[in-house]
Amino acid sequence: MKIRTWEYFIREVFVSLKRNSWMTFASISTVALSLLILGLFLIIVLNLNNMATSLESQVQINVYLKDELSDKKMEDIGQKIKKLPGVEEIKFVSKKEAMERFKERLGDQQTLLTALGESNPLPNAFEVKLRAPEQVKAAANLINEYEGVENAKFGQDIIDQLFELTKMIRIFGFIIIVFLALATIFIISNTIRLTVFARRKEIGIMKYVGATDWFIRWPFLMEGMVLGLLGSAVATFILRNSYGAVVAKIYDTLTFLPLIPEQPFLNNVSILMVVVGTAIGALGSTISLKRFMKV
Amino acid sequence: MIHMSEVSKVYENGSSALNNINIDIEKGEFVFLVGSSGAGKSTFIKMIFREVLPSKGQLIINGRNIMTMKEEEVPYLRRGLGIVFQDYRLLPDKNVYENVAFAMQVIEAPRREMQKRVNSVLELVGLRDKLKSLPSQLSGGEQQRVAIARAIVNSPMIVIADEPTGNLDPDTSWEIMKIFERINKSGTTIVMATHDKTIVDAMKKRVIAIEDGCIIRDEVKGAYGYED
Ligand SMILES: Nc1ncnc2c1ncn2[C@@H]1O[C@H](COP(=O)(O)OP(=O)(O)OP(=O)(O)O)[C@@H](O)[C@H]1O
Ligand SMILES: [Mg+2]
Repeated sequence: MKIRTWEYFIREVFVSLKRNSWMTFASISTVALSLLILGLFLIIVLNLNNMATSLESQVQINVYLKDELSDKKMEDIGQKIKKLPGVEEIKFVSKKEAMERFKERLGDQQTLLTALGESNPLPNAFEVKLRAPEQVKAAANLINEYEGVENAKFGQDIIDQLFELTKMIRIFGFIIIVFLALATIFIISNTIRLTVFARRKEIGIMKYVGATDWFIRWPFLMEGMVLGLLGSAVATFILRNSYGAVVAKIYDTLTFLPLIPEQPFLNNVSILMVVVGTAIGALGSTISLKRFMKV
Repeated sequence: MIHMSEVSKVYENGSSALNNINIDIEKGEFVFLVGSSGAGKSTFIKMIFREVLPSKGQLIINGRNIMTMKEEEVPYLRRGLGIVFQDYRLLPDKNVYENVAFAMQVIEAPRREMQKRVNSVLELVGLRDKLKSLPSQLSGGEQQRVAIARAIVNSPMIVIADEPTGNLDPDTSWEIMKIFERINKSGTTIVMATHDKTIVDAMKKRVIAIEDGCIIRDEVKGAYGYED
């Protein structure tokens, strides 16, 4: 197709977007809403996955000791752990050190500590680093049996729960997204149907004078794609501006949650949303063209 | 130009419109298609531009085999044809110039050629002074002249017309026929279905008479031949 032809197509597209301004508005809003929800689910699922994997890759067991053990007893436990297969490093963290670290992590929320007064509920502990994540579970089970050990934790429960949650959100999100995509395709194909209807005379004449089917199709296809593109642009804009704020908020309160950093994650999600939006638009017009124009 | 052998058309609902048609129309001929209502004239015309596909037989237009033609080839068949309808079929929101230029635009004709060509066909149909008028500001005869200009702007080999004067008074019809005659003089083949006895009788062109889907008469310098 010639450049002049594309200019002509673009003009046609904007004429009909203006002519059906109501439907244009409705289509763009629906696309925007659907994609916003798609984007949200994506962000949640990917973040949960990220958390779970980052926890899983940690090769550390925290061994909490019972209170009031003698130094000798604690020393013995340390020696025993050191001899286990796969243990790379072991470090003793006293009650006091644990409290210091906790204070540091709380940052400017020190007020939470005042309720504790002078007492320190944190136990003495060992931090045990293993060479490979596969060895963590077996080692933790062994250590758990030692006398004087309160418990040995490596966060398997939390990891399992996170993965479980991710799975559920994924299924739920998938259903909602499919449903919304169908609704979006439906509304776009309706908008295009109105355009086809407004243009049926023109289409007829174009066919009689020998326009190719693609020449006739392109403006309608482009109209659907423009609707999808504009809708996804709106959704992307909203998402990008709120993600930063939400992440900042979460970091403020829950410092230890490993959220995916904004870039390039957000750019990738945005690109995906725009591509999906445009594709949905193209699909919507194709359906209309097939049904109402037979070209 | 146009070659039909043993062509028949039975519509999907079972009604038989044409039956065993054999005809040859050569380059530069001017042919009238006559016959009473329902005889099959429009079906004959529509088969030429493949609006309607024959049920059987062989049909060749401008060297293209209609029966084996792929869907994608149809636009190129039509670029070699100019089609004129009884109801003009102009675009109401485009002016005279734009209506004619549209036919060149949609087949992506070069722009340089476009202006010259549109002006020259509008000259031929005598509408050079109405370029900016909308169809609604024109008489029926003028609208049909715009439609004819659009039909010939891409220099087709064949012009087909289905009752082009059906909505016009006798004087205006004559003006339209003069234009068709001028187009024919330049070598373009013309096939026209009509009910206009006076015109057919006066013009002394080839007349093909169809009745009940069969050709009952085919005369060079013929006449309408009967009263409807
Ligand atoms: N699309 C169609 N579907 C079914 N039958 C049709 C169709 N078009 C035409 N016919 C039938 O085919 C026959 C021929 O119709 P056609 O329109 O070719 O006649 P015509 O000679 O052009 O008539 P008129 O002078 O009234 O325009 C008629 O019996 C008509 O009912
Ligand atoms: Mg007819």
